Amino acid sequence: MNRTLVVGGGPAGHRLADRLRHHGVSGPVTILGAEPYPAYHRPLLSYVLSGQADPEALRMPALPGIETHSGTAVTHIDRVRREVHTSESVHGYDVLVLATGARADVPDIRGARGPGVTVLRTVADCARVTGDTVVVLGGGPLGVETAAALAARGTATTLVCATPHPLYDRLGESASALLTDALRRAGVDVLAGRTVTAREPGRVLLDDGTRVPADTLALCTGAHPEVRLARAAGLGVRTGIVVDDRLRTSDPRIHAIGDCAEHEGRAVAGIEAAWAQADSLARILTGQDAPAHHTTPAVFRLRTRIAEVACVGAPAAFADPALRRLTYADHEGGRYARLALRGERLVAAVLFGLPEAIASVGELHRRGQALPSDRLHLLLGGPPRPASTDLDPPEDAVICLCNNVQRQTLAKAWRAGARTVTALAAATRATTGCGGCGSDVAELSAGWARETRHDGERTP
Amino acid sequence: MTRTLVVAGHGMIGHRFADRLRALDTARDWRIVILAEEPHPAYDRLALSTYLGGRSRDDLTLAGRDFLADPRVELRLATPVARADRTVRVVVTQGGDRIRYDALVLATGSRPFVPPVPGRDLTHCFVYRTFEDLDAIRRVARPGGQGLVVGGGLLGLEAAYALSRLGVRPHVVETAPHLMPAQLDPGAAEVLHRRADELGLRLHCGTGVAHVHAGPDGAVRAATLGDGTTLDVDLVVFAAGIRPRDELAKPLDLARGERGGFLVDALCRTADPRVWAIGECAAVLGRCHGLAAPGYAMADSVAAQLTGRDAQPFDRTDDATTLKLLGVHVATFGATVHPGDPRPVEVTFADGIARYAKVFLRPDTGTVLGGILARDTGSTSPLRSLVGRPPPADLERLLLP
Repeated sequence: MNRTLVVGGGPAGHRLADRLRHHGVSGPVTILGAEPYPAYHRPLLSYVLSGQADPEALRMPALPGIETHSGTAVTHIDRVRREVHTSESVHGYDVLVLATGARADVPDIRGARGPGVTVLRTVADCARVTGDTVVVLGGGPLGVETAAALAARGTATTLVCATPHPLYDRLGESASALLTDALRRAGVDVLAGRTVTAREPGRVLLDDGTRVPADTLALCTGAHPEVRLARAAGLGVRTGIVVDDRLRTSDPRIHAIGDCAEHEGRAVAGIEAAWAQADSLARILTGQDAPAHHTTPAVFRLRTRIAEVACVGAPAAFADPALRRLTYADHEGGRYARLALRGERLVAAVLFGLPEAIASVGELHRRGQALPSDRLHLLLGGPPRPASTDLDPPEDAVICLCNNVQRQTLAKAWRAGARTVTALAAATRATTGCGGCGSDVAELSAGWARETRHDGERTP
Repeated sequence: MTRTLVVAGHGMIGHRFADRLRALDTARDWRIVILAEEPHPAYDRLALSTYLGGRSRDDLTLAGRDFLADPRVELRLATPVARADRTVRVVVTQGGDRIRYDALVLATGSRPFVPPVPGRDLTHCFVYRTFEDLDAIRRVARPGGQGLVVGGGLLGLEAAYALSRLGVRPHVVETAPHLMPAQLDPGAAEVLHRRADELGLRLHCGTGVAHVHAGPDGAVRAATLGDGTTLDVDLVVFAAGIRPRDELAKPLDLARGERGGFLVDALCRTADPRVWAIGECAAVLGRCHGLAAPGYAMADSVAAQLTGRDAQPFDRTDDATTLKLLGVHVATFGATVHPGDPRPVEVTFADGIARYAKVFLRPDTGTVLGGILARDTGSTSPLRSLVGRPPPADLERLLLP
């Protein structure tokens, strides 16, 4: 009998238990969750904030056959005895999985640990957001989602972020500016390039000296892997709990997945990465045909109704001189895209207001497939467009810009006997300016020569 | 009966006009008197830097033997028009010769603009427009020395390129945030900046020249920029734009454009039905055009009018240009400025910072309005036919093959 114990009742632990059951794990599986409720879909908490969903609606399906303890905070791991201690009980294990998630950061702001301030990570945190006016601090995804959700429920909401726009580093200047527009249209007051320096009763103080009314200050200022238990147990920890390609910590009986884990040198937050790790680990633990775990490229999507925003890859790709870059900016229509490609493969993308492209580009990225050559069509959809070769150049197309020589003028000269580039140049002046049209004139001339040969009498 | 056409100026546009008229005037109606200021026939000013690279004056001349030998053409060099009187249809040369005209075409071109900075008149301060200017620069240029070019537009880059060919390390100062601000957006300019770096040009964008300093010999020794930088340079070339040569507007009693130039309509006509203006001295519907292609279009239009043919009105919206700067092809096609219109959709393609293309689309129909390209190869002519159509499936390959 192999006892599997999961520490952490969030989505990663839930998914792992579900997959273990699916693969027919031998032996009992127990989940110890610190929060007082069963697992729920944490990324959708903003829907609770906005009033669109009850906390119950976010709850993940029950796991029959899995022993789940809520409100059970682990205090200590005894690796020698293979036991996990809570304040009230002791749980033995043969395999231990740490899925302790992340802990929200509280910035060094006067009054930040006092009343009327909350981080936003749990259902309980959501309940702490009260009053008619809320200041949300932080220009990351959580700050944006939170501010949009609060505005949707009618709360007077101010979003304060240090960067020129929310998600500036992630989306770049143009798309993040569109996001600011979308937030403002949704009723959020965006104060960019600012930060909160103090919490005062009923308001917050900004770094420029202004004061903004706030019944609640919501801190969306990032999170760090929850590593305290692992560190106390003497496991290898850097930013997160370090795991290898079989998601093992420095103790082979202990694994770590989700926001608390650091794989391939990176602690990747987010539910997609957590689920992928849970899936891999379930296969590994049940002896399935389990290849080493590889971090798959994740699609980042903003969970808000105010704008369709997604990105893949690292923003640094857009500054990489070895890559081909494409941008599409429709400022009037609020649509924007930015792609970085190596050859025909996508390295990074930012998409705003292009929901269909988000689906197709994300899929191509996940699979590492080549992008179709008509990238505009990929972004904008619609019926396939004809290639330029299917269009005849119009007679009045200007071939030589310097001398304003039209195609028909060249054709006429050709008919009159100018059958070489030199002769065409002498007759029409084409190619005698910057010379840039030399190859075009040669091509036209060759094309007419071919037509004449084939058709006998026919001339252009 | 033969009529007399006087062309004031024999630059690239004046020559193009006279040559075109010669070709169109099959009835041989016109005698063409060209009054040139410079002591040589028209030459390819755009290729002036190659003169320092070893090409001769003859190599750059635009007036072929048949032109000079044409009995209908009387080319008078170093004979600028000094005065004129429209009431009696007479121009007076600087030497005092009076020439009666039936038609007068003003093609007096432009002069370099020299910003009013202290030291601008010192020995070894130059402009960049004529063979004589270049001869003077060549005499002073000292391999291993440093020079300052004021102006990062077309002319300034030509001048900087020329200096580097003479072994002089050029500094270029441009008040705009990037080179070629009149033609290029920041992305296209980045391609140029990179090429400029490769060629050893030192760029100082976003600032101007504040002061040119003299050494003990009274010649240029250094220059201070607006940002406080002081550069040790032994020559300064002012290439900070041009101003139309419209001095004859006063004696001719002709209107000027708001920013100078002979004010003409879309057919290059002044208020006097016998007087036209073409090229850089013409303010077509109030606006002057500084590149060769628009001037050629004006020349062709007036030549057609004088030979009783249908003439194309000058189309301001089509500012297509192709330039080769520092070996980089820089081109625009269709409309690239859209004042007053809804902001167009912008699609850009870039290969690192070596090649760049931007296309403007109409926000409502998605059809192509125009574009900007900066790259090391290729031409824009296949792109011209895209204007007014939806972008084709192979747009990206057309832009950056």
